[in-house]
Amino acid sequence: MKDKFSTTDQVQLTRRSLLQSMSALAGTAALGSAAAMLPGAARAADMPVVKAYGVPTAALKDWSPMEASIGVRCELSGTSNDVGVFMRDIMASNLGESTDLFIFESGTEDILGPRGFYAEIETDNPELTLWDRTSDDWKRSDVVTDPKGTQWGVPVIGNADSFGYFPAKLGMAPDSEEELSWSLMFDDENTRGRVAFGQGWAYSFPSAALYLKSTGKAEIGNVADMTGDEAKVVADFLIERKKAGQFRTLYGAFEEQIQLLTNEEVDVINCWEPAVREANLVLGPDATRYAYTKEGYFKWGHGAYVAKQAMERDNVDAIYKVLNYFLGGEYRALQARDRGYAGPNMDLGVAYAEENGWSAEEVAALKATEAKVAKKFSKPFVSTTTPQNSADIEDQWQRFLNA
Amino acid sequence: MTMNTEIDGAAPAVRPRRRPLLRPPVAKLAFWGISAAWFVLVIVPLIILFVFSFFTTEYFQTVYTPSLDTWTGLFSSGRFEVTLRTLRVALTVTLIELAVGFPFALWLAKGCRSSLGRAIVLALLTIPFFLDLSSRTIVWRAILGQGGLINTILLSTGLTDQPVDWLLYSEFSVHFGMIPALFPPMVLPIYMAITLIDDNLLEASNDLGATPAQTLWRVIVPLSLPGVVAGFVFTLGPALAAWVEPGMLGGGFVNLLSSSIESAYTALRYPVVAALSAFVIGLLLVLLGLLMLILRRFGGAGLTLR
Repeated sequence: MKDKFSTTDQVQLTRRSLLQSMSALAGTAALGSAAAMLPGAARAADMPVVKAYGVPTAALKDWSPMEASIGVRCELSGTSNDVGVFMRDIMASNLGESTDLFIFESGTEDILGPRGFYAEIETDNPELTLWDRTSDDWKRSDVVTDPKGTQWGVPVIGNADSFGYFPAKLGMAPDSEEELSWSLMFDDENTRGRVAFGQGWAYSFPSAALYLKSTGKAEIGNVADMTGDEAKVVADFLIERKKAGQFRTLYGAFEEQIQLLTNEEVDVINCWEPAVREANLVLGPDATRYAYTKEGYFKWGHGAYVAKQAMERDNVDAIYKVLNYFLGGEYRALQARDRGYAGPNMDLGVAYAEENGWSAEEVAALKATEAKVAKKFSKPFVSTTTPQNSADIEDQWQRFLNA
Repeated sequence: MTMNTEIDGAAPAVRPRRRPLLRPPVAKLAFWGISAAWFVLVIVPLIILFVFSFFTTEYFQTVYTPSLDTWTGLFSSGRFEVTLRTLRVALTVTLIELAVGFPFALWLAKGCRSSLGRAIVLALLTIPFFLDLSSRTIVWRAILGQGGLINTILLSTGLTDQPVDWLLYSEFSVHFGMIPALFPPMVLPIYMAITLIDDNLLEASNDLGATPAQTLWRVIVPLSLPGVVAGFVFTLGPALAAWVEPGMLGGGFVNLLSSSIESAYTALRYPVVAALSAFVIGLLLVLLGLLMLILRRFGGAGLTLR
């Protein structure tokens, strides 16, 4: 789950982490001496530790398979999906002094890399054995390189976001895989007043720009990083649509996406794919669908970036083992099964599942995820959390919100 | 009582001079110490905040070149309207709370004779403080939505043939959500102030021929002003900073200060945050100044809890 807006999820995760920590502490206090005698526990305690900071989306639900596979323990401190908070923590709080890895959505590497907070990735590091077989589509993407092409990170997970919709309400077959236009979100009389649009500029503005650019209604260079003038054109369009009553609501959090779908308050919503799955658990299979689109997607990815100071410490090998693990089949398969997200080397994920006796359905689901992402990633534009013109874009987005 | 002594014709009682709690040099030192701490902890950050509003942000980095760009940007981006809208919504909610809360507090303090009943009402007022505001607010969506309880009733009874849209995702729903949440901060200080009013004063007013309305206006209101001022401040502050209700019930159509600041923060636009905050502080100072001027008409003595 990609938690761009959700605060509740983070809180829940934090609470869960706290409870887990407290349980662990209580368990340690009660069973301390006995646990120390267990060979497995002793091994875990002796393992090299990699400290990570970032969005919990990239975390495994259980890190023990990784510990068993590569003999490294990862301690992830979660943060919200707010890029401002994330960068402030790294720049102002100098987190690199105590953290080895940073995991976040694409964009921070363009700023924190050149400014000396991230270390350049050593692609020839002997622990990074899967680097060469990883496709350039992932490892050289905008998610982990800066505009000059410097390699600041290793790709972890990604997806291509579009919108959820009710096929029955739009007169479509439930199993239709027809490519739909984003006009359903912005410009369609049949959906007027029945659309939910995300109220975060980084997530929603580019989709509107993509629609205007693809349909020739506006000339926009880079959808992910519009100039102030381009953003103004998109804001004017959105203001006009807002005044025309196109949007039923501008939502703020992942939980709202699910709620808006499950109570059928809207017919179309630009959202995360898991929201559609969650809604279908309540409404029934294929009651809602996640659209394949004509114009393209909000393609996003999370990268893992090494703290500059970490390269001076004595756990560099362990850090690179973790980076390599993110490229491997076990991590890929577990992430796809547990969260439905794709990433580099999906074929290794399928191979891992087959070798480890996963059911035919689970293997088929992995293959379907691989095919789905390949289809979607052929469309244009990769998002960024840090556009060069962020101040102008944010100003224009405010104009839309205040109209 | 002093009043009785004077009525009896006895010589006016000479109030014994109280010994100062602190010796003059210590008192002077304490005054300057507290003033210095106040200056460092409150005034200096405000000055820094104001100075910061004259910088700009480029590509997530603050540019320390003084300019008016951030302030002019407040107007071109509509953030100026956000500030005024926030102030308008907060004041409306506060005045509604006052209009509803004052009679309620008066009834609770002087009208409700059962101590058990009073205890139950006070418990009902304070219990919401222990519940998460988001959880309390999100419930309204199920009630006010197009498929919610109210629209279901309206449609099934034939009162309307279409769901009423404005019940949710509107300024109405934001006000509606804020009022129950901010009721206790308005009622409790007023209740405390009215409780402190001696019943003998009310009886004296009655004995002297005052109508209930005159007793209310000339005795209760002036003496409860400290509670009213406290309730006003305790309600207006959270209302200005509200983000749960606008976020959950406004549907993105009621953009208030908190979400505007949050949006600026995602692009690390500290100067915008500083300018917005400075602007609001300025407006608040003007507002509180006006409030004090109005209240002075009722007598300054009523503004302290002595």
